[in-house]
Amino acid sequence: MRVSMSHMGNIYVTIKAWAHKLGRSDNLIIPPANSQRTLSLGVKYSPEGLCLPFKLTLGNLIEACELGADTLVTVGGDGICRLGYYVKTQEQILHDLGYNFEIIQLSLSQQRVFGLLKLMRRLSNNASWFKVISALRFGIAKQIAMDKIERLVQKVRAVELVKGTANRLYAKAIEAIDNADDYNTLKKAQRDHIDQLNHVAKDTQAKPPIVGIIGEFYVVLEPFANLNIESELGKLGVEVRRRTFISTWAKFSFFFNYLGLDETTRIHKAALPYLKRDVGGDGWESVGEKVLHAKEYDGLIHLAPFTCMPEVVAQNIMLSTKENIPVLTILCDEQMNRTGILTRLEAFADLLKSRRQARNNTQHKGS
Amino acid sequence: MIIGIPRALLYYQYYPMWKTFFEELGAEVVVSSPTTQATLSSGASRVVADTCLPVKIFLGHVISIVERCDYIFIPAIRSVKRKAYNCSKFLGLPDMTKAVIPESPPILDIEIDINKGKRHLYQAIYKLGRHFIGNPVKVRQASLAAWQAHLKYQQLMSSQGLTPPQAIAKLSGEVELEAPTSIQATIALIGHPYILYDEHISHRLIHRLEEAHNKVLTPEMLTTEELESATTRLVGNAHWTYEDEVVGAGGHYLETRVDGVIGLMTFGCGPDSQMMDMVHRWATKLGATTFMSLTLDEHTTEGGIVTRLEAFLDMINRRKRRQIEVCA
Repeated sequence: MRVSMSHMGNIYVTIKAWAHKLGRSDNLIIPPANSQRTLSLGVKYSPEGLCLPFKLTLGNLIEACELGADTLVTVGGDGICRLGYYVKTQEQILHDLGYNFEIIQLSLSQQRVFGLLKLMRRLSNNASWFKVISALRFGIAKQIAMDKIERLVQKVRAVELVKGTANRLYAKAIEAIDNADDYNTLKKAQRDHIDQLNHVAKDTQAKPPIVGIIGEFYVVLEPFANLNIESELGKLGVEVRRRTFISTWAKFSFFFNYLGLDETTRIHKAALPYLKRDVGGDGWESVGEKVLHAKEYDGLIHLAPFTCMPEVVAQNIMLSTKENIPVLTILCDEQMNRTGILTRLEAFADLLKSRRQARNNTQHKGS
Repeated sequence: MIIGIPRALLYYQYYPMWKTFFEELGAEVVVSSPTTQATLSSGASRVVADTCLPVKIFLGHVISIVERCDYIFIPAIRSVKRKAYNCSKFLGLPDMTKAVIPESPPILDIEIDINKGKRHLYQAIYKLGRHFIGNPVKVRQASLAAWQAHLKYQQLMSSQGLTPPQAIAKLSGEVELEAPTSIQATIALIGHPYILYDEHISHRLIHRLEEAHNKVLTPEMLTTEELESATTRLVGNAHWTYEDEVVGAGGHYLETRVDGVIGLMTFGCGPDSQMMDMVHRWATKLGATTFMSLTLDEHTTEGGIVTRLEAFLDMINRRKRRQIEVCA
């Protein structure tokens, strides 16, 4: 049995950790990182009207099949957005391409952590529950460490004197975390890299504008899908913040939601005057986050795949909310062009800086 | 009190039901006029560019009746079947309309979600009826009458082979069209009713086919059971509410071997982008029926449609002639 799955951000590190802890590293195939080839394969075999996450994940699965994977795990769900139907279409396409495989759908929205644990047990040839749970815990610990470092990287990128230092350290950190075998090495890797990031030469005078990244889960988390927008913003001297992290999501949907805590309740409440109900995907959250962050941030970047159903609704509603904050919507698809996006980001960063200056000037006059 | 109903999206499925309900409660119903280029332009000017065509047209219809009514009825239909949901755009429709058409009169917004149980449905209906009358018994009577009207409407379409506009005309007592006399071929059209019967979106496709002496079949002419069983054969459990019109009808007509099947979808439609592909794959697998899928948007021109249609009909005729030659 050779198991594989699609990429999304750095989640492969966590999955590798699970397989390693369960002693099944040899049975796991990590598909090659997202590349132009992945995208081209996905685009070639997908129906044209489908969204970018579908095309990229299909590309990953094709590349995994080429490497000999015979068990594909895909995340599905019972939602309103197209994600719930991905698995059937992808299965059909891969079959028509002549690959021989079994596809396993993991419905996280329904079965939550139990579904994941059961699947891990099944794929590890019935390892003991103790082993499965400790593997899950270790994987999530790695994810938490990576996300902690990424949050710091988002801050450092905006103010570092030598552009690219934070990115280099981040890549090194992920590698170190990936290689960590136990909690001690993991902790050490985390501590070391946080230390190094704190000691990067920074412009202490700078007060970078803050931009929130909101929108659809996959394109927010997968740098290849959004042309690594966070790093580009960092180069422009903009600090990036976002709510969506895999570890935060996992913490809430695996543990805290059972205790009646839900991070999204607050966001939904904020969205109520404009959107009364869930429209699938992350549409409701996008509207809510605009309302919530209007005071805290200087601007928002709304990322959505082209033709994403929930985000189109959100986008239309966001245009007319009372809360006034600049929003730049970027639609991600295979036609996305680097120069075009960079130009728009530059203009957006300039806008935020001049808005801030104008605000400071009026405050000075007031006092 | 005057209730406005836009002639778009779910109008084609539920108009007789809605009309009966509101009239039983003593309200008057106004429907917008059929779609024109002006409807589309006014709707499209309000929303972001990648909103789908049917929603742009829907908003255009709302704009055209804002001044003629006291309320506009826009239900948020989440599901009408267990475990199958509706497209996001239907769910966000009332809120989206409010956001992009601020001048609209109050929106009557009712959430229909079968997954939440019957009690939720009844409460929603009562909440809607309360705008007109406080008496729950009267609301119940009106909703039962509305349900009867809906059943009659569906039965009229499936038993007599009428399209929704024809059935609506018949229910309101207008004369209907004569059936074509000589039939060249039987062509099935699959797609959502708001695409098939909106003559502006579909460029009068049904008329064009009938003028060329073809018999046209549409999804509404099948019974719910036929649609559902075909859907199950093609894709298993349906994921979206109104996809029987595409996969169910497509599967049924492909299997019963009509002469040709044309799939109509609009650009940017989320569910259809997957479902039409499923029908396409099924057609390739069966290989017996000529299949064509047309993706329409606001830039689609009449000339383009006519050319593809002519080629499609020629192909069917040639295929038929060859079959006759083989038999002889």
